[in-house]
Amino acid sequence: MSQPSSPEGLATSSCPTADQVSAGNTLWADIRALLPNTKEDLKLDFSEKVEESVISLLQQARDLLYGAESLCSGSTRETCLQVSEIIIDYSWEKLNIGTWRDVDKDWRRVYSYGCLFKVLCMCNEQGSIADTIRICDMGLLMGASILDNILVRIINVLQKHLTYGKRSAEEDTKEGQRKKIRNDHTTVPSIKSEEAIPRLHCPSLEHFRENYMIPTKPVILEGIVDHWPCMKKWSLDYLRQIAGCRTVPVEVGSRYTDEEWSQTLMTVNDFIDQYIVNKVCYFHIIPELKQDICIPDYCSLGEGEEDNITINAWFGPEGTISPLHQDPQQNFLVQVIGRKYIRLYSPQESENLYPHETQILHNTSQVDVEDPDLVKFPKFERAAFQACILTPGQVLFIPVKYWHYVRSLDVSFSVSFWWL
Amino acid sequence: MGALPGHCQDLLPSESHVLLLRGAALEVWARGAELCRGPSWQQQLHPGEAARPLPLVSHGYVTPRPPFLCPLPPALRAQKLVLGHEHVVLLGCAGTIYTWGCSRHGQLGHGGLEPVSEPRLVEALDGMSMGDVAAGGWHSVSVSEGGDLYVWGWNEAGQLALPSKALAEKRAPATASVSQHEEPCTGQAELKLTHPEAALAAEAADFISIQAFPALLDLPEGSEVSKVSCGSRHTAAVTRTGKLYTWGWGKYGQLGHKDTASSDQPRQVGYFPANGLTVEDVVCGPWNTYISAVEK
Repeated sequence: MSQPSSPEGLATSSCPTADQVSAGNTLWADIRALLPNTKEDLKLDFSEKVEESVISLLQQARDLLYGAESLCSGSTRETCLQVSEIIIDYSWEKLNIGTWRDVDKDWRRVYSYGCLFKVLCMCNEQGSIADTIRICDMGLLMGASILDNILVRIINVLQKHLTYGKRSAEEDTKEGQRKKIRNDHTTVPSIKSEEAIPRLHCPSLEHFRENYMIPTKPVILEGIVDHWPCMKKWSLDYLRQIAGCRTVPVEVGSRYTDEEWSQTLMTVNDFIDQYIVNKVCYFHIIPELKQDICIPDYCSLGEGEEDNITINAWFGPEGTISPLHQDPQQNFLVQVIGRKYIRLYSPQESENLYPHETQILHNTSQVDVEDPDLVKFPKFERAAFQACILTPGQVLFIPVKYWHYVRSLDVSFSVSFWWL
Repeated sequence: MGALPGHCQDLLPSESHVLLLRGAALEVWARGAELCRGPSWQQQLHPGEAARPLPLVSHGYVTPRPPFLCPLPPALRAQKLVLGHEHVVLLGCAGTIYTWGCSRHGQLGHGGLEPVSEPRLVEALDGMSMGDVAAGGWHSVSVSEGGDLYVWGWNEAGQLALPSKALAEKRAPATASVSQHEEPCTGQAELKLTHPEAALAAEAADFISIQAFPALLDLPEGSEVSKVSCGSRHTAAVTRTGKLYTWGWGKYGQLGHKDTASSDQPRQVGYFPANGLTVEDVVCGPWNTYISAVEK
C-alpha cells in the first residue's frame, strides 16, 4: 500500500442515505463498554523510539477519558480532542518517513491510539456517525492493532447505530439502471484451443501440487468456491448495505502506468457512485466482506502462514485493464461477478515482454498486450502465451512471477489471494 | 535537570540529546538524569576552519541523535546544510546545490523518485548562483542571489504554493457526486460523464502532489526574497522590503494569519505592517514560525 494522504485532507464522506446519531447516550454507553475498566488497564507501553513527550500526550488523553467527567463535559472533550489531533498529526509524520516496511510498528500503534481517542471524543458529540467510522478506518488502514483490535469493535457498534433514511423511488430507478451490465460493445476475444488454460474440477491437493504448483503451470480450478457466501450475496446493494460508509484505499485510473493513476481513500458508497461505472479500482477487503469468502484450501500447500495471505477485492467496470505485469507471490484469482479476459506469459518469456527499466516498474511490461507496438517491441510477437475468459465461480492459479494481463468484459468483482 | 556547561557558541537539541559547539570541540550531552555526568560523546574540530553554521562542521555535519557526526566528501565545499525528515540539502560555496537521501516525494529535485546515497548536484539549478536553502519535512526551497524562490518536493498541504488537490477538496467537497445525482435518467444504462465531472477531471490534471524538479515560485508583487525557512509542512519567506509570506500547512496556526487554514498560495502576514514592524529574519520549527522584526 502506498503512503497515505493527509489525515485531514479528505472531504466529509457522503453517505447517500441519511445517518443520524440515535439516542446519543446509548451510543456512548455501548462504546464505553468496549474500553478497559480502569485507567491502569489501558496500558501505554512503547519502545524507546516513541518520544517521552508523545507518551505524555497519550497519558493526558487517557487521564481525561478516565477522569471524573470523562468525555461528557465539553471542556475535557475539547482538550482531549486537541491532544488526539496532535498525536495523530505527529505520528502521521512518522508513518510517512522511509518506506512503509521500515515504519516502526509502535508509531503505527500511536497513530491508532490517536484515532481511538479522537473517535471517543466524536462519539460524545452529536456528530455524524459516518465521519466517526471514517476515523476508525484511518486507524485501521494506517495504524496497527491496539487493545485487541478495539477499532473494529467500535465500528461494529457504530454501524448498529446508523439509521438509514428511506430511499426514494427515483433513486431506486437510477440505481437499477446503473447496475445493468453493459456489454453491448465489448470485444470478446477468441481463444485458440492450443492457447487455452486448462480447467480442472475440484482436483485433490496432491494433484494440484504435483501437476501445477511445482511445475509452475497455470490452471483454472472449478467448483471450489461454489459454497462461498459471496457467490450468492454480493451485489451493489449488498456492498452498500454492509460496507457503504467504510473507507477503503482505491486505485484510480485505468492503468497504473497512466499519468492520471493515483491512489486515494474514499468510502465504498462514494466509490460506487463516482467510479464503478467509469473507472477502475481495487480495495483492500474489509472485515465485513471477509465473512463471505474463505481461504482456498490449496493455499495450505505453500510455506507461508495463513496470516501472511494478502486478500484484495478487485471491483471495476467493463473495460478495466491491468497492464501486463508479474507479482512476487502465488495468486489465486477468484471470479465472483462478471467475466475477465486474461492472458498469461511464462517468466521464461520475460525478455520478449520488454519490462520497464526503472526499479519501481521493473515488474511491468511496456507492451500493450491487445494493441502491441511491434515496431517498438518486435520480440513480443514471438512470446508464447495462454489465455482464458474467467467466469463467475472459476479460480485461476497464477504461479509466482507469471506475467498476467487482465481486461474486464463486464462489471467485474474478483478476489485475489497472494500467498507463498 | 542539571545545567549545561558555559561558553557555548551554538547548540542543537533533540528530545534525547543536546549537541553543543564549545570552542574547538563538539560535545553531546544526554538529557535527563544523565545530564550531570558530562558529555557522552565528544569530537575535536580542526582549528582555523571558517566558521559555518551548524549542522555543518569540517568534513561533515552533526545531528543531536546517534550517530551524531556524518561525514561529507572533503571535496564538497559547503556553505550551509539543512535536513528534512529523510533528505539533505547542501548549499556549496560556489552557489550550487547538492541533495541526497530519499526522494519518494521528489524532494531531491533530480526529477525522479529514486533514492540517492551520495551528494548529487541539482542540475536544474546549475548555472544560477543560490544564496540560501531551506528544507521542510519532505520539501526543499532555495533562493537565488537575485532573490528568486525555487521549490520542489511534496505539496500535500500546499507547502510548495502549487495547486493542492487535498486543499481544493476541502474547499468544495463532493461536487462530482452532487452532479451525478442530478443527472437526468437516460434511456440507456450508461452514465455518461456530465460537463461538471469532465471539468473536475480536467482540473485534477492541474493539481500537483509531487514536484520532482525545482519550480520557480513568484511571490505577489514580484517581491525578491531575502530569507526563507521551512517547517515540517509549511514555508515562510521574508522579502527584501521586510514583508513576510507564508503558505502550506496551517492547522496549528503556524502561518500566522489568525486562523488554522492551510493555504496553497503565499499570503502576506498582515500582523507586521499593521504594527509598524519590518521583518528581518525567519526560522521555522516543525509546527511553528519564529520571526525577528524591527520597528520601521
